Amino acid sequence: MPDPLLSVHDLHKVYDNGTHAVRGVTFDVEPGEFLAIIGLSGSGKSSLLRCINRLVEPTSGRVAMHGADVTHVRGAELRALRRSIGMVFQHFNLVPRHSVLSNVLTGSLGRTSTFASMTGRYSAEDQARALECLRLVGLEGKAGQRATSLSGGQQQRVAIARSLLQDPDLLLADEPVASLDPATSHSVMQHLERINKELGKTIVCNLHFLSLVRQYATRVIALKAGEVVFRGGAKDIDAARFREIYGEDAIEVSID
Amino acid sequence: MDIHQQRVAREHRRGLVSAALLNAAFVFYAGLLALFLRDGSFAQAPAATYAALLGAAALVGGLWTSARTSTGRMIVERTNPVLKAAATARERHWLRSVSGLATCLVGALTLIVAWRVTDTSLRELLSRNGLNGAKRIFLAILSPDWSILPLVIEETLVTIFMALQATLIAVPIAFVMSFPAARNVMRATHIGRLVYVASRLLFNFVRSIEALVWAIIFSVWVGIGPFAGMLALMVHSVASLVKLFSEQVENVEHGPIEAIEATGAGRLQVIWFAIVPQVVLPYLSFTIYRWDINVRMATIIGLVGGGGIGKLLIQYQGLAKWHAVGTIVIVIAVVVWLMDWLSSRLREAIY
Repeated sequence: MPDPLLSVHDLHKVYDNGTHAVRGVTFDVEPGEFLAIIGLSGSGKSSLLRCINRLVEPTSGRVAMHGADVTHVRGAELRALRRSIGMVFQHFNLVPRHSVLSNVLTGSLGRTSTFASMTGRYSAEDQARALECLRLVGLEGKAGQRATSLSGGQQQRVAIARSLLQDPDLLLADEPVASLDPATSHSVMQHLERINKELGKTIVCNLHFLSLVRQYATRVIALKAGEVVFRGGAKDIDAARFREIYGEDAIEVSID
Repeated sequence: MDIHQQRVAREHRRGLVSAALLNAAFVFYAGLLALFLRDGSFAQAPAATYAALLGAAALVGGLWTSARTSTGRMIVERTNPVLKAAATARERHWLRSVSGLATCLVGALTLIVAWRVTDTSLRELLSRNGLNGAKRIFLAILSPDWSILPLVIEETLVTIFMALQATLIAVPIAFVMSFPAARNVMRATHIGRLVYVASRLLFNFVRSIEALVWAIIFSVWVGIGPFAGMLALMVHSVASLVKLFSEQVENVEHGPIEAIEATGAGRLQVIWFAIVPQVVLPYLSFTIYRWDINVRMATIIGLVGGGGIGKLLIQYQGLAKWHAVGTIVIVIAVVVWLMDWLSSRLREAIY
């Protein structure tokens, strides 16, 4: 059997202040999956994602991409790892004051020399692909606008285009719709779904709303206090399971 | 115990240390006051007395911390957001009234001592002789000698160019140095933290030497004249701007930094794409503000060998040509006022 695209084994993260955010999490992701990670705020979802592309250093455990251990790579190898993993954030994290196109082009920083990127000389191929990525998220008309002047949903689509320009093997999404309204949430999720189904990109996505999980994800992992408490298909989470993950008093709200 | 209570307890433990230090400082200050009021100056008491005072301050300050009336604890409890939020309404009321009283007491004591330290004397301020002197100099300044105006304007131009050149050279240096002097940029590695601490120390040291003192140093180094003044302004500007700039860098949003790091960008690219766009406007605003300050400083830096209009001022003052001094003072006032106005307009326009 070939190696999985991403393999996380017995991962722990303890922060300097003593918070044990991730406790022995193990899972594999096969190419083409849309894996949702659910759980309460503070259950360790964000830390877990950041341990994969090493925005956060894992304390112990193992992360492997295509079977190769990347838990402790440094320097150029770390940058190569990050280049192969796109990431989308809850607060979009676009570069303020820069245009939409210039924000998308930062997706190619990993393969552009420092000097060339700082003077704005991206390769012709990257420039053409940046426009292509903007077209994919339906924002080709906004290329020249200042990125932070767009609406929340549009900003998130710019962020998706930026991560697509990296041409990643894996796309991490950290609560991509948590600061958006329901209608916009669906639009952003549909873009992710298209990227998953049509472009074949593998997606690992932190989500809050079960209704979104059932609709878009192919598989689910639930975290509680840093530990995996459920794994299975999205539709297997019934009321009992839900209370187990979210606590006895929780009531499911949906987003339609 | 839930997380919130744990946090409050932790902050309490941390706060006790700073409270003890604050209390010790208060006791030491009170002891100094007592010594001064007894002797009339600080020079009389032997060094051993001060050492004993220091020891007593540490002991009493430490013990005092456990008391409810501890000033240090009051300050810590009023300024720490966690402890402030945890206090009940009654505790808050008590803190407010007692610390208000303590503040008034410290203020009053300081005024009394300062009155003696500075030899304050209303009699001299209002004496007939003194008032006559003041009248003479004010009249002379208000009837300026306009015949030297061309010379004054020439030197004023020199002064303004000194300030401009100093600012223009200082800004690029400060821009580059502000990143190694920012904690959030440098904390990732041990070497980075070392560079951060070293550059902070260096620039704090340079900044704590006033531009006037730098002018004295450079007038020995390169000779008296505008070049020495420009160098003095430039060195001081670099140090001040690095502080202002690096504080901006430390306050940027972390989100864009994460996003750019996640693309596989290198360190310089992260700074250029995630941090610089967030700080350009404040940098520009600080630059204009610094230029404004430099013009102001340049007018007096000549007093100590820095050239420009200040040199002229000190020359005429030495010759007791008060009408000429009047001309210079008026021109300086007009220039400073103009620059002040221009700089605030420019800074408004940026935002």
